[in-house]
Amino acid sequence: MKFTRRRFAGMAGALLAGLGFAAGATAQEQGGTLVMIVQPEPPSLASYLSTSGPIGMVTSKIYDGLLEYDTELQPQPGLAESWEISPDGKSITFKLRQGVKFHDGEALTSADVKFSIMNAAKVTHPRGPNTFAAVTDIETPDDHTVTLVLSEPAPYMLMAFSGYETPILPEHIFGEGDLRAHPNANNPVGSGPFVFTEWKKGQYIRLDRNPDYWKEGRPYLDRIVARFILDSSTRTAALEKGEAHFAAMGAVPFNDAKKLAENPDLTVTTRGHEMFSPVSELLLNTEREPLSDKQVRRAIAYAMQRQFIIDNIWFGYGKPATGPMSSNFAPAGLYSGDVKTYETDDGVELANRILDEAGYAKDADGVRFELMHDSLPYGQEWTRFGEYVQQQLGKIGIKVIIRQEDVARWLKRTYHDHDFDTTANYLYNLADPVIGVHRAVHSGQIKPGTVFTNGSYWSHPEVDKLLDMAKVEPDAAERSALYDQALKIVADEIPIVWIHEMNFPTVVNNQFADVIVSALGVYANFDRAHMK
Amino acid sequence: MNTFRQRFFGNPRVIGGLAWLGLVIMVAIAAPLLSPHHPFEIVAQPFLIPSVEHPFGTDSLGRSIWAGLVHGARTTLVIAILATLASVAFGTLVGALAGYFGGWVDDGLMRLTEFFQTIPSFIFAIVLVAILTPSATSLIVAIAVVSWPPIARVVRGEVLSVKAREYVQAAVLVGQEDMAILFRQVLPNTLSPLIVTGSLLVATAILVESALSFLGLGAPNLMSWGFMVGAGRSFLRDAWWLVTIPGVAILLTVLSINLVGEGLNDALNPRLSDL
Repeated sequence: MKFTRRRFAGMAGALLAGLGFAAGATAQEQGGTLVMIVQPEPPSLASYLSTSGPIGMVTSKIYDGLLEYDTELQPQPGLAESWEISPDGKSITFKLRQGVKFHDGEALTSADVKFSIMNAAKVTHPRGPNTFAAVTDIETPDDHTVTLVLSEPAPYMLMAFSGYETPILPEHIFGEGDLRAHPNANNPVGSGPFVFTEWKKGQYIRLDRNPDYWKEGRPYLDRIVARFILDSSTRTAALEKGEAHFAAMGAVPFNDAKKLAENPDLTVTTRGHEMFSPVSELLLNTEREPLSDKQVRRAIAYAMQRQFIIDNIWFGYGKPATGPMSSNFAPAGLYSGDVKTYETDDGVELANRILDEAGYAKDADGVRFELMHDSLPYGQEWTRFGEYVQQQLGKIGIKVIIRQEDVARWLKRTYHDHDFDTTANYLYNLADPVIGVHRAVHSGQIKPGTVFTNGSYWSHPEVDKLLDMAKVEPDAAERSALYDQALKIVADEIPIVWIHEMNFPTVVNNQFADVIVSALGVYANFDRAHMK
Repeated sequence: MNTFRQRFFGNPRVIGGLAWLGLVIMVAIAAPLLSPHHPFEIVAQPFLIPSVEHPFGTDSLGRSIWAGLVHGARTTLVIAILATLASVAFGTLVGALAGYFGGWVDDGLMRLTEFFQTIPSFIFAIVLVAILTPSATSLIVAIAVVSWPPIARVVRGEVLSVKAREYVQAAVLVGQEDMAILFRQVLPNTLSPLIVTGSLLVATAILVESALSFLGLGAPNLMSWGFMVGAGRSFLRDAWWLVTIPGVAILLTVLSINLVGEGLNDALNPRLSDL
């Protein structure tokens, strides 16, 4: 490992961690098959086309990225052994590792990296066009040097080079034909620690050890099997019996997590979601009366008892949210919870008072006005959440009628037609607020037809300005101050009622160790996982 | 020979079934009195086991199971009965026209009936509810659409046999209109198998409604037994009462309807029991 990085404060830490790996490597035995539960079955294995969760859980083992990340979200060397940002922030140069081969034996070169960013990430990826918007060109002076030319500084971009977010694809395979309908979409060829071997539809995907992996001696596991088990109780039973060794991200039923944690053969952790940090929300259509009234939105925010929701719907997994940004950004210095809080014991009385004062009188049945709530069709928890919203808002004189539609219709209604009053969703914060948070509240993200953007249609010029400044601000303290200001306004205006920072139980069988080792969690490449 | 009343009420299974059904109907009518709480209202701690204060315990959000049971009886019965009435009305019309007129009318209507019969009925119901968006109306429509074909076939068969009787031929001879013959002479004499099939259909409708609600395709603003079982099923190992109580209610109600239906059949066709 060559340490040529100069500009990164995290270097000392990375060096220590690197030594740690080296020492650990001699102790690890090779072998073993890890059975992981992936829920639901991925629709494809084209992670350059879709960010659907289950796809990335499998492909992150097959496709490596330029960088890896530690638990503190700090970039670590991956396919790029070093990188450097120019002093003006307008170019990033990666030095690629020598001798890396794709699974078909072809060498990985700078041309593959250029192809993966310019032709895949920037074009076909759902988030990539936004993340890499500033990339105007990529220079490849030799086979192992890649320079991204940027139109403006983009410090957040360094967070987007994992194999999950921006997989490096072999140009000699994916360069031919239409990338959106490529014959190799479900027969992936990458450079990662595991090689795609078999997909038995409805049952499992098998990945075998890559014997030519560029990290000496890794991976330790012989095989990873991704199993699909539809029924939640059966998943719990499979974990208890040791038929499956690993489950994460919603594959573990929340209500069973406590029971699984008591099992001496299993370890339950909540680490490994720092790269995603989902924040749940009650999405309000601020274009519609009376939700366009800030006082109504505040009353709704007061009526939600976040701790009750966490304890009873998500069985204790999570913590109350203060806004769109997760407190997982606290170590990076970006998060401050110092905003107007709506979490009080007398929330219902307060909300009633606000609505009385704002002139929304109750009729003979105690109803001020009616709203339609579209339940998020993502499982039982969200159905319960919809029912809870109906009950709580009923207490403050808002009659809520629940509508339950399928995912396709819900997406169209919410993000395309904008034909709803309230609905629920959760916002992946991802690795940087620019990628994950801006899209929820920036008016430039009011994009009918693009899913998971500014669905409340709220716009506030000052917030836009602050976020635009934060986007290009390289200094962490300055950036933090800008976010503080922006999020104070957001909390005050409350275009969306944020509920909780979601936390997912991840179950690991104690026969295995070092499965969850980074902020990417289940979306990391598992090259360090081994049997005890 | 015994009268219908003696044969029907002399059957202990019928009495048992009627007793339970009567109870469920009374509870459904008196639901707001028996449980002043809205069934979705959070009234206490979640997962309370049955006690004096909360006779059937509370569910995962702290809602009273008793309130759910009582208001669910209403939803379940109303949806099942309306769906049955709709499918009996439509099935009778199709069967009667096909049986009475015969020929190409019969061919056309029976091919249509067979077309509906070849689609697996529960899957068809799921598709219908998903397309129509879950609500009480779409449940009724879906259940009615998947359950009319058997009625149509039963009625057609009966009409075919009744049509050949002398009194019908006499009606033709005196010059009665087709529709008058069909509705005054023929249909009243097909009533007994229709009543039996129709009563059993109510049981099927309850099962379909419960299964759809179990899958999360029920009416989202109405409490129903199937919904309670569906919402509670992930907690079966921790809180048995969430699933067991509404499950037993469905079981007993469907069983009672079947007992009464079979009792009707025995009483209306006394010669069957002699065979």
